[in-house]
Amino acid sequence: MFFLKKGKKKPKQAQHSGSRLYPVLHVIDSLNDYKKDLIQKEVESLWALNSVETSFSGVLSEADHFQTHLQDLGNSFSNISQAAGRFADVRKAISDTVSEAQDKVAELKSTSMEVEKSYSEMEHTFEKLQSAVRDIQQCMGRIVSIADQTNILAINASIEAARAGQEGKGFAVVAVKVRELAEQIKDLTSEVDVGIHNVQSGASQLSGSIQASQEALGHSLDTVNSTYETFHKITAAADGASSVQDEISGVISDSNHALQLIYQFFHSIQKRYQEVVKHIEHAKKLGTTKSCMFEDIDNMMSQIPIIVKEADADQR
Amino acid sequence: MRQFFGMSQSGNLAEAVRGMDRPQFIMLLSNQAQFEAHVKNLEELYPGIPSIGCIGMSYQDRIVESGVSVIAFSDGVAAAANVLEEVSTVPVKYIERLERDLSKAGGSERDTVCIDFCSGNDACALSTIYSVLGPRKISLVGGTGEAGLVSANGVVYQDAVAYAIVRNLHGRVKTYKENIYHPLGDYRFIASNTDRANYILGSLNGKPAKQVYQSILHVTDQQILTQTFKNPFGKINGDDTCIISIKEVNGNALACFRQVNDSDVLILLELGDFKAITEETIRRISHDFPTRSAVFSVNCLFRYKLFTEHNYMQEYLKKMSALGSHAGLVGYGEHYNNRFVNQSMTCVVFE
Repeated sequence: MFFLKKGKKKPKQAQHSGSRLYPVLHVIDSLNDYKKDLIQKEVESLWALNSVETSFSGVLSEADHFQTHLQDLGNSFSNISQAAGRFADVRKAISDTVSEAQDKVAELKSTSMEVEKSYSEMEHTFEKLQSAVRDIQQCMGRIVSIADQTNILAINASIEAARAGQEGKGFAVVAVKVRELAEQIKDLTSEVDVGIHNVQSGASQLSGSIQASQEALGHSLDTVNSTYETFHKITAAADGASSVQDEISGVISDSNHALQLIYQFFHSIQKRYQEVVKHIEHAKKLGTTKSCMFEDIDNMMSQIPIIVKEADADQR
Repeated sequence: MRQFFGMSQSGNLAEAVRGMDRPQFIMLLSNQAQFEAHVKNLEELYPGIPSIGCIGMSYQDRIVESGVSVIAFSDGVAAAANVLEEVSTVPVKYIERLERDLSKAGGSERDTVCIDFCSGNDACALSTIYSVLGPRKISLVGGTGEAGLVSANGVVYQDAVAYAIVRNLHGRVKTYKENIYHPLGDYRFIASNTDRANYILGSLNGKPAKQVYQSILHVTDQQILTQTFKNPFGKINGDDTCIISIKEVNGNALACFRQVNDSDVLILLELGDFKAITEETIRRISHDFPTRSAVFSVNCLFRYKLFTEHNYMQEYLKKMSALGSHAGLVGYGEHYNNRFVNQSMTCVVFE
């Protein structure tokens, strides 16, 4: 390939001196020099463009990095929102549990009331029992009195039987028997009295126990009532958590809104970035087409000196 | 129009042209030993018919490695063939021939294509030819033959580019370029310290080219020569990528199969799913041209080797034949408009 090198200008001038077409060669020589400079500048431009692209790739990379962080932040907000959302679940679980417990306590209260009612009935029954015992005691007193009178009568009968002598012997035996029976009645009455006394004492103790149970039951009912209040407090506390959740949701919503604005900002910035990338790509493409044009220019210009040389030779 | 393909694996031209009736344009693809005789005989058999030829393998539904083949267009084409000589130095001296032939054909970008066979210095030849075709938006498809010889209209030339302006009188024409590679990573290099005359690539981003290639692909000097099948360079030209094969290691530089210039932007390529890519090209052509009269293609020798190594060459030709009449040349380099590329397929489709 024949083409003129910048450093070989002087020898070529000597070679072509005297040629009528030397000016053409001179022009070609100069054009070649310009072309070389142009190519050098083009190489520098491509380098500069590469540097711009590299720097811009850095910017894009940083922007992507930042956007990833924003994404992470958005995800964190979302996680917080989800976690706050679980307050509602917890609140509902508490409410359900409290409601269930309230039902159970109501059932307990109802049962306790029935027990209390039973106790009242028992108390009433005891009162009747005590009254019956007292009646029995009075009856027993009369029986003892009748037994005493019977005994006196038996003694009187024995005396009369003794007075009657032989004829009164049979009568005296009956009188003795009657007196023995009266004594036995008195003994039995005594035993019954002891039994009644024991019944009275046991009933009195039972009555005391029932009273104690009634008092305990009364306390239980008080506790049940205060449990109701506690349940109300739990429900109120759970409702309070719910309002905290609402506040958190509100803050997150505000934050998300702010984040969306940043996203939008970045989205629009990215659009601009893409435009810059397109421009860089376009400039690079133009650079590559220029290199092909330089090749064509080279291929065409390299033929001129030969034509000139041949024309000179023809002239001679 | 119709496309005829005739061949003789033994190099018998008479056998190759058997059945070729009233051709309006002929392409001769011959072997080095018989090329000159074939050119002469063909001209005797079909005097005055525009023709171009070169040395190289050809194919239709199978490869003709060392015989001879002829591809002819007939029934509805207007063609003019000629040659630009002194292609290694000053092909522009002959540019008026091309301008005349173009005017004679009188076609437009819609129906006219330029097919060329070049003996070397392809980039310069293409820049020169395209200085005429470009303003008229006429597309070009072609390739590099072997042994530095081409023929035009029955004459053998050294150091020349033979061309034909072919106009489809009954339909459209369209050219395609197929690249079975895609970018490897995000590597992007600016070439410098190049020697365009010797296709030397000195530096990439200011570092020795060999070192850069090796550091990325972890290959030895020897392996570089075969690695190019998998990882050639790509020269970026706007939206297009032109493949550059590595020929050999030259000190710390790399010698390539096409020229590289200072300020060229290069990338590293990686072999893609070539079966899927070739099928996609066929689909694209079928979509663009529901009815096709002929497809003429130039496949790179590297692709031929690669496809053969993967037992795909025969399958590929079979698939291409689904397009209808398909024939072509195995080239040492492929031409697509003003671009000289390697490891590619270029083709022209006639409606």
